[in-house]
Amino acid sequence: MKARTRQIAIERTALIVILAIYLMPVLWLVTTAYKPPREIFSSPPSFAFTPTMFNFQRIFELFDVWALLKSSLIISLGTTVLSLLLGVPAGYALARSKSRYAILVAYFFLAIRTVPIIATLIPFYLMMRDIGLLGTWWAVVMINTTLNCAFVTWMMFSYFRALPRDMEEAALTDGCTLWGSFYRVALPMVVPGIIASALFCIMFSWNDFLTPMFLTGPDTKPLSVALLAAFGTKDITWGTLGALAHFSTVPIVLMALFLNRYFVQGLTRGVQ
Amino acid sequence: MTTTSVGSIDLAPSRASGLRFSDRRKLFLVALALPAILYVVLVAVWPLAQGIWYSFFDYNLLRGGGRRTFVGLDNYIALWADATARRAVINTFLFTFGAVTLEFVIGLGLALLLWRDGRFNRICLAFLLIPVTITPIVVGLIFRALLAVDYGFFGYYLAEWGISGPRGFLANTTTALPVVILIDVWEWTPLVALILLAGLKSLPTDILEAAAADGATALQRFRMVVLPLLLPTVFLALVLRVMDAFRVFDIIFVTTGGGPADATTSLMLYGVKQGLEFFNIGFASAIGNLTILCIALMCAVFTLLIRRADVRANER
Repeated sequence: MKARTRQIAIERTALIVILAIYLMPVLWLVTTAYKPPREIFSSPPSFAFTPTMFNFQRIFELFDVWALLKSSLIISLGTTVLSLLLGVPAGYALARSKSRYAILVAYFFLAIRTVPIIATLIPFYLMMRDIGLLGTWWAVVMINTTLNCAFVTWMMFSYFRALPRDMEEAALTDGCTLWGSFYRVALPMVVPGIIASALFCIMFSWNDFLTPMFLTGPDTKPLSVALLAAFGTKDITWGTLGALAHFSTVPIVLMALFLNRYFVQGLTRGVQ
Repeated sequence: MTTTSVGSIDLAPSRASGLRFSDRRKLFLVALALPAILYVVLVAVWPLAQGIWYSFFDYNLLRGGGRRTFVGLDNYIALWADATARRAVINTFLFTFGAVTLEFVIGLGLALLLWRDGRFNRICLAFLLIPVTITPIVVGLIFRALLAVDYGFFGYYLAEWGISGPRGFLANTTTALPVVILIDVWEWTPLVALILLAGLKSLPTDILEAAAADGATALQRFRMVVLPLLLPTVFLALVLRVMDAFRVFDIIFVTTGGGPADATTSLMLYGVKQGLEFFNIGFASAIGNLTILCIALMCAVFTLLIRRADVRANER
């Protein structure tokens, strides 16, 4: 038993050391935002500094941070709601269908998820230009929903498949409608799956950069696009960039940490 | 169609509609699935088809008033002859292979380290997953800053001690790609570790205990028992990461922009540059289709490998 305790101690020390090294870049990003400009460019670089909120004041002077946040929120929530509305019922239908085509359709959704966005983005861009949606949030939500809805469908397919049919059958014999057997019986039992799906849709679309870069305009661009655009301008230091990056990373990191159970579930279930 | 589980319900008289219950149920399921299918066909498959169509045309928005001229396979021939495109194909495969290999090796080590169940390990895992959640653009920016030779935490010393040369790793044609690979490894190894960990935790404990009771050493147990049983999960993690790594864009775009001298240009990057910066739609579509083709081929190879592994597992 003593050997076992020692082994656990060694494992834990190793984990802590690895974690400390691993998260250093994140720590750097966080601390940079609180550094006064002079100390960021200290050469040789140093970790010591006097904390300041200067950079956060600067980004509110330089950017319309609220507008950027609003864009990011609209894009990610829009994508998430639409993807769930389309994907959850589809996942249920595919899991409950006895047709031999159901599994083919499920694989079709899986295949859509592996499509490189460049192949669809160019024709989609032209399509949006022709119908005048270029530069709107709608364009981004629409194209992001394809990948995310495919993801949700596949993930919910796996959740519903693992759910025994008995409850729905019992409800149906008791006179429940078909819609009721889905909405009131099956759906409440896969709430963890729905939370995990939503978490992923929010994360994917919040972090997405390529599609909004080309599909949004100056008034509709989200944080991710603003971050890179800001990078080239002369008023921007690593400190202000770090402060702006706070807004783009902190919400998702916190969400993943607090809803860790669902996050882990989603990562492992969503791919199976 | 006769169903076993709802057989009794078939006898129940259906309300309003004169349809049998099993038919109504089929219609109901189709109605639930149809919106998603229609949506994906309209917004993903239709553009994909258009992309294939465009790739047979000389179609440039900035030239000739954006007129389309049919040129057959010329775009694909041009792609074959194009030095940057060839470089991009090689880079993308090198990137994918390098990144996924490292992610698998390190991820497996981390998964084994985290295997023991407990509060401590769960908390470690939660923190370990932070890189996965960070905006890829921000990941790129972090490493670009850390590797900057004049004030970056790594870059400064790497240059100072003469390891990276005066302009840094990202500005060097031989080191840029490996560095970009390492950034991807940093971001995605936790995901691989997590998937492998889930696989480890679902292994039947009695077999592992039996092996330990039979006196197998830790290494023997790992090689002869754990690894073969883990194989399906390993394939899963590899497929997932290969598909994603092959579509790399964000971190390369931010750190090197494809340079220096195309040393880090990936297929996605080249396609985006040609299509959405130069508006060379025909040529860019050909790049996009080539990317899909590569992914489909790799999918096929993986499916074959998985099937073979399954057969072998069943023989055992």
